[in-house]
This record gives sequence, C-alpha cells and structure tokens, in this order.
Amino acid sequence: MQVDELSASSMCELMQGLECRLCVQNLSVYYGEFKALEDVNLMIPCKRITAFIGPSGCGKSTLLRCFNRMNDLVPGSRVEGSILLDGVDIYSEKYDLTELRRKVGMVFQKPNPFPKSVYDNVAYGPKIAGIKKKSVLDEIVERSLRRAALWDEVKDKIYSSALSLSGGQQQRLCIARVLAVEPEIILLDEPCSALDPIATQRIEDLLVELAGKYTIIIVTHNMQQAARISHFTAFMMIEKQGDPGRIIEFDETSRIFTNPENEKTERYITGRFG
Amino acid sequence: MTPLRKSFQERLEELERDLNFMCNVGIETVEKTRRAFLTQDFELARQIIDGDDELDGFVIQIEEKGVEILALQAPVAIDLRRVFVMLRIATHIERVGDLCVNICKVLLSLKGARISPEVREKMSEMFKRAIEMLRRSLESFRVRDASLMEGLNKMDDKVDRINRAFLAGVNGGDREEVETTVRILMIARFVERIADHAVDIGEDVKYMITGRFVE
Repeated sequence: MQVDELSASSMCELMQGLECRLCVQNLSVYYGEFKALEDVNLMIPCKRITAFIGPSGCGKSTLLRCFNRMNDLVPGSRVEGSILLDGVDIYSEKYDLTELRRKVGMVFQKPNPFPKSVYDNVAYGPKIAGIKKKSVLDEIVERSLRRAALWDEVKDKIYSSALSLSGGQQQRLCIARVLAVEPEIILLDEPCSALDPIATQRIEDLLVELAGKYTIIIVTHNMQQAARISHFTAFMMIEKQGDPGRIIEFDETSRIFTNPENEKTERYITGRFG
Repeated sequence: MTPLRKSFQERLEELERDLNFMCNVGIETVEKTRRAFLTQDFELARQIIDGDDELDGFVIQIEEKGVEILALQAPVAIDLRRVFVMLRIATHIERVGDLCVNICKVLLSLKGARISPEVREKMSEMFKRAIEMLRRSLESFRVRDASLMEGLNKMDDKVDRINRAFLAGVNGGDREEVETTVRILMIARFVERIADHAVDIGEDVKYMITGRFVE
C-alpha cells in the first residue's frame, strides 16, 4: 500500500480484521526547527511483528521512540498529530507516562543491563512497581527469563553479575527485564546489530515466539531479518538530506519483499539506490 | 548503485543471456522436428534425439547459476521474480526439447508408413502455431511486454482443436493403418504439449512483470 493510499479505510482493509490498539494519526516530529518525521499514518496490529525499514536518517528510530515518548527526553523536540493507544492519545497531557512506559517496553541496539545481578535486573521493574514479596519476585524473575529463552542458561548463576553474560544473553536479559513488567507492546531498536549470527537467530526465534502474546515493533537495517520475522513492514525514506522522513509503503511483509507497489521501495530493497 | 550490486546485476544479465541462448536452441529444435516430420528425414530425427543432451546441459548450467544467485544474493521483488521465472522458463524449454525427442522417436517408428497429405498439412499447421506461440512468449520475456501474450490462449485453443480433429478422423482400417494413426495421434499430442508450455511461459512472464500469478 503506497503512502497516498494510507487512508483509514484501506489500512483497515489491510489489517483484515486483526485487532489494532495502536494507531498513528498525522504524526509529525520536530527536533527544534528540524522536521524529522512528516504526516505518518499507521495502524499497528496486535500480537504481530511490524518492522520499520529504510535508509539511515529516514526517521525509523524517531517513529519507534514516539510510541513510548522517549523523544520527550530530547530537548526541543515536539510532536504534532496523535498516537492512540486503546483510543486515548498518549501525547495528551493527562496521559500517565509511567503507565505508558510500563505498557510499552523498549530494547535498544546495544544490550544495556544494569551493573547488577541477573536476578536484580529482571526484578527491578516489578520492585519499582511496588512488589516486595520475595516469592512473588522469584516467580516473576523465573517466568520472565523462561519467556526470554534464557532461564536454562542462567538458572545456576542468577545472582552473578549480568555483565558476565555474553552479548546475546545480555540482550535476552534486557528482553526478560521488559517482560517482567507485563508490557503489551515491545519496541526494539536494532536489537541484533551488535550480535553474532547465532545470538541473532536466538533473538529472532524469541521474537517470533513472543509475537503470539505481545505486539512487537522492530527497527532493523537488516532487510532479511525484517523479511524473516515480521508480518508487516513499513518502508520509510527521505527525499533528500534535510527533508523529513515519511512512510512510503506499508504492507504485509511477504508483499513488500516479492511485489512492492512503490518504485522507491523496490529500488531500496533491491539495492538500486545510490 | 554500489560495485557489489552492479556485479549482482551483471550476473543476472549473464543468466538471462544464457537463457536466451537456450531458448533459441529450443525453438530451433522444434523447427527441425517439424522439418523432420514433414520431409520424413529420419537422419535429422536421429540428430535431434542425440542433440537433446545439449538442452539438458543448458538447464543444469542455468539452474546452478540461478541457485547460486538465490543463495548468495538473496534477491527480492523484481530481481527475485526475474530469477524465479528464468529458472521456470529453462525447465519449460528443457521439456519442449524432451517432447521433440519423443516426436522424433515416434517418427522413426513411422519409417515406411504412408502419411496422407491432409495429416501432413494439419500437423504442419500445429507445429507452426506452437512455434509461433513459443516465439511470442519468449519475446514477451525479452522485451518485458505482457501485451504480447494476448491471444496466446486463443492460439492454444486452435492447436487443441487441430489435435482433437486428428482423433475425430480415426476410422479404423487394417492393423498397419491403425498403428500409423496411433503414432500420428501421439505426435499431435506432443506438439499440443509444446504449445501448452508456451502458454505456461507466457503466464510466468506475466507474473514476472506484474507480480501476480495468473492461470
């Protein structure tokens, strides 16, 4: 579906009855005077993986960081338009930011565990949320590590430093840390770019498994990764340096990679740019 | 385009050159087969049977190159459809070659048999149409023009009608005549299959151009 067809009705048709609780409407993002994103309209299907692809600087990470308002931390940033989560604009003044960050977890490019034990990393969020009982925390830690496919590898060193784990294990620990607070949406910003192929495969397997329970949005430069794991793909780009990023095409991933509608998408995914 | 991507495109071009060469050999084989039938040239028929290894060799070469491109370059979109369709066309042409071999083998068993001018004329017409269909579908691939495929199904219907007319013309006779008739029917059926491959190639090319499968 090309950008000029990204109307609400055609978007609904594309979703084919899938539940969509996250909806982006006419979103533009500014960093000071610079317009980083322009007029983004998108529906994110629940319990599916949606990938954002596109060249560097096209606004993929900016868009991703709008979903949990991470851009609020950038001085001079502001947004126009809205992002509706269950029909409520997350940018409205009364929206509880702590609640938003609980519902929308995030995993970054480089694994960033706290310099604490494996256990403390996972228990951190639930503790902040007020859970104090050790047996409850134990249960959450084990469940989260199991869901992140890490339990078998760390169960005997759960009180060791998280920094002693391998890069791939650290990244799965970060995913376990997100899962511990029972989010609904997981944002991943290039989660495998610092990992070797085997660790990457583990994360990809994990994401596909988690997609049955969570709504996942991933930014990736690895187009084969987007093709392998995502159900829907948005291709973004800028016309020229200094222009805002826009969504050029959004469709089922299988269609984007076999028969994209927009010539720009085709030129990008077939490597004909530049 | 980066140097690596350029070399990828060059490899696609090379694959297409190989395929075009194979297709020319394939069409030439059908033309020779037609000539062998019409002139009862049994020596030519033997040459066609022996020469089939050439087409088999081409298809293996094209498949190896195509699979290597798929494995190493992971093409997508138009590049993926192009490689996929080239591999399919190569298989169709190889089968066209096999059908020519079948025709020639039956032809050899017709040595000494009397073939009526009407049968010759009908078979010549079938061959001509099948060759024209092959040419048209392969040309549509070369120039990426799906409109060339229009009319292909109608031409195929005509080939089918001539094939059925052979069957309708069967009315007994002595043992020798019946054997000749059965062999003629087999040849007609093989030519009809060649025309079917032309239709299939046309559909594949349409998919390559539009991204939509048609039947």
